[in-house]
Amino acid sequence: MAHVVKHITVVPSYKARTISDFVDIVLSRTQRKTPTVIHKHYKISRIRDFYMRKVKYTQQTFHDKLTLIISEFPIISNLHPFYATLMNVLYNTDHYKLALGGINKARQLIDDCAKDHVKLLKYGDSLYRCKCLKRAALGRMVTILKGQAKNLLYLEEIRQHINRLPTIDPNTRTLLITGFPNVGKSSFINKISRADVEVQPYAFTTKSLYVGHTDYKYLRWQVIDTPGILDHPIEERNSIEMQAVAALIHIRAVVLHIVDISEQCGHTLEEQLALYRNIKPSFSNRPIIIVINKIDVIKPEELPEEKKKVIAEFQAEGEPVLEMSTLTEEGVMAVKIEACERLLTFRVEQKMKTNKVANVANRLHVAVPKKRDDKERPPVVIKKKQAMVIDGESRKLERDIEQEMGDDYILDLRKTWMLQNEDEKYDVIPEIWHGKNVADYIDPGIMESLKALEEEEEARDNAHYYSMDESEEDEETREMRKVARKIREKRTILTIESGEKRRVEKSRMPRPVKRSRSVAQLEKDLDEMGVEIPKNADSHYVRAKSRSSSRPKSRSSSRPPLKRARDQSEGAVTRSKSRPPRDRSGLRDNAMIRKVKKMAKKAQKPRNHQAKKGEGDRVILNMKPKHLFSGKRKAGKTDRR
Amino acid sequence: MPQNEYIELHTKRHGRRLDYEERKRKKEGRLPHEMAEKAKKLRGIKAKIYNKKRHSEKIQMKKTIKMHEERKTKQKASDTDSKYGNPTYLLERENQIRAKILSNTIKQKRKEKAGKWDVPIPKVKGVSEAEVFKVVKTGKTKRKAWKRMVTKVTFVGDGFTRKPVKFERFIRPMGLRFKKANVTHPELKASFFLPILGVKKNPSSAMYTSLGVITKGTIIEVNISELGLVTHAGKVVWGKYAQVTNNPENDGCINAVLLV
Repeated sequence: MAHVVKHITVVPSYKARTISDFVDIVLSRTQRKTPTVIHKHYKISRIRDFYMRKVKYTQQTFHDKLTLIISEFPIISNLHPFYATLMNVLYNTDHYKLALGGINKARQLIDDCAKDHVKLLKYGDSLYRCKCLKRAALGRMVTILKGQAKNLLYLEEIRQHINRLPTIDPNTRTLLITGFPNVGKSSFINKISRADVEVQPYAFTTKSLYVGHTDYKYLRWQVIDTPGILDHPIEERNSIEMQAVAALIHIRAVVLHIVDISEQCGHTLEEQLALYRNIKPSFSNRPIIIVINKIDVIKPEELPEEKKKVIAEFQAEGEPVLEMSTLTEEGVMAVKIEACERLLTFRVEQKMKTNKVANVANRLHVAVPKKRDDKERPPVVIKKKQAMVIDGESRKLERDIEQEMGDDYILDLRKTWMLQNEDEKYDVIPEIWHGKNVADYIDPGIMESLKALEEEEEARDNAHYYSMDESEEDEETREMRKVARKIREKRTILTIESGEKRRVEKSRMPRPVKRSRSVAQLEKDLDEMGVEIPKNADSHYVRAKSRSSSRPKSRSSSRPPLKRARDQSEGAVTRSKSRPPRDRSGLRDNAMIRKVKKMAKKAQKPRNHQAKKGEGDRVILNMKPKHLFSGKRKAGKTDRR
Repeated sequence: MPQNEYIELHTKRHGRRLDYEERKRKKEGRLPHEMAEKAKKLRGIKAKIYNKKRHSEKIQMKKTIKMHEERKTKQKASDTDSKYGNPTYLLERENQIRAKILSNTIKQKRKEKAGKWDVPIPKVKGVSEAEVFKVVKTGKTKRKAWKRMVTKVTFVGDGFTRKPVKFERFIRPMGLRFKKANVTHPELKASFFLPILGVKKNPSSAMYTSLGVITKGTIIEVNISELGLVTHAGKVVWGKYAQVTNNPENDGCINAVLLV
């Protein structure tokens, strides 16, 4: 039934049968999806809205759920008559309609109820009153649904059953199998299709419709196995039989009426004939085949005379009578083929009767060429040479040789080798040669590649590729080369120079220039002029001592420096070597250094309390101290708990 | 067995796995532990729902156990039905049963002794005017405060027309007007949805009565012609009094008990 009715969602029961019952679903949904916090000092309109929303939301959820149920269950009048009858047989249409009607009514009542209570909520003047009204509203909705508890249960059962009904397409090519109980209907369907119907040696093993599929002429055929039918008026038939009847009446199919010739089913042939006559009107206008089953037990020819008469009467019904045995599979395929053929022709005929066919048929025309003359023109088939003839006598097989020679036989595969030199056939080939695997060096295409190489070489030779010689260079060329090299060098120099020129000159730290004047120079000059230079300390020729403390003391004399040493800020002279350490830079003397150190220590004191290295140390060791982030924050400051 | 019940078919054909019963028993044995675990873990509304369900299940279980136990234990046949009655030394033992009957009879007598107008809710909590009326400010500057709006459920007769705005002192909102009430007949133990005929008395105030305000304890007159009650003379009774038993403004409906 799956293709007729789409998926039906589970119908939750009213209460407490399963965990997911209707009321809990809806109410907990309201609880989850609507706000839950309200206080009585809020503005009254806000309180009213809060509760109105709850009521409306619950109503909407109920409404949606019930609508889903109503819309998903099939409407019987819209179904194919076969399914309509089947549903009536299985579920009782009246009950079904009443149940759906009840659900519909409940939906309406819930809507009305919500409307009333929302109206009253508009006059709510306190939180308590609004809450009471909301409670009353939800309670009433639940009570309304409680009235539908039985209907919900019933619908859930139907849903489960509908989902399990076999997928019967009432309009396709169908073989329908009927007959008394226990005549071999299920065995037949098991034989011709993949349906796995239970077969047992008692009546009414099959209690519902079964569907199998089979192939014939590359078409798909639906086979329906029905429960057995007893021969009594339709009012007395039970629901199992009624399913079969529903299928018989409404499905356009070829009907295979199966008759048990051995009477092992417990019904005599006469009874079976009576049943056939009884139910025949219900499948009028459809091809029928009477199938005589169980011929492995008794053949029709072996029957006693009176039984033969009954068989004759079957044959006199005007329908084809076939014989088969589902046990030995004798005649089963014949029955299937006959049935399929009959149905196919029947369906084509039916189609031809409809108006639609006329529209198409008018436009169809099969052209038949007129005969030109009476000349015979038989088809010409060109005889080809038969290609598959093996020429020559057959080769002597190794097997034959082995049989001839017996125990002396030694398998020799080398004799069939096809080599250039026949006498190399039995040469010994070592596997390992000079420690290398010979097989690794075998290249089957080596001769070709060698040949190709040689040809290439020859071609080059012919084109004087190798004949070009150094000696051929004459004097002129050599000269030219020399000049070219020079030009190249010159050009590089020029590019570099121009690059130098064009470069933006950055201010550079000037290198310490070698002093143009020195003591030695002066002495020399003066000496040339004949001036004696006194070489004592009072003369100003000796280099003055710097006072910088960084200078090694060994050189300095006890004399105090005459000039203050230059420091960094004064000139552009780099003195990276002579620069004082950072902590002493800019400090005049030791006293000053000591003072500064003292000050620094004092400044560090508060940082030492916090275990910091200096002012640059900003490490926070514990970003989230436990005591500041646990517990409640009462009145007070953020960092006190 | 329909075509699609594969599982059942399989069990029928091949049977169950060998340790099926064992596993089933173990699973059942585990069930209480799992339930306890679940009950511990659940929070909030889910926990409430679950606990309530569990509670009712337990009650049901205890009841069934008790029933089974009662069936098992032998019950003493009542001795009173013996031919000669009980011996004197045993007579006192049936006091227990007597007591119940006695109390019942006393109750009955008390009931009869009570007056004809004894009502189901004899004492009614008064409702103050501040609660019933909401002041409606009027005038261009909303300074005037002589208008009142009734905030309780009211009954307004069919033929009522509102006064002009200028003279209408009490407003009875349309949303709070009720026409029908759920009336329980205490003897029939059945309730009916009956139309209201009028408000007989609101015990809180005469003004409420005249306004038709219905609060808890109010006596209303209902139309009981549907019930088909007949007087001694054979006339059909169609109006009877009933007392309101709930707070209609909180419940959104009027529940009343018929005064018989």
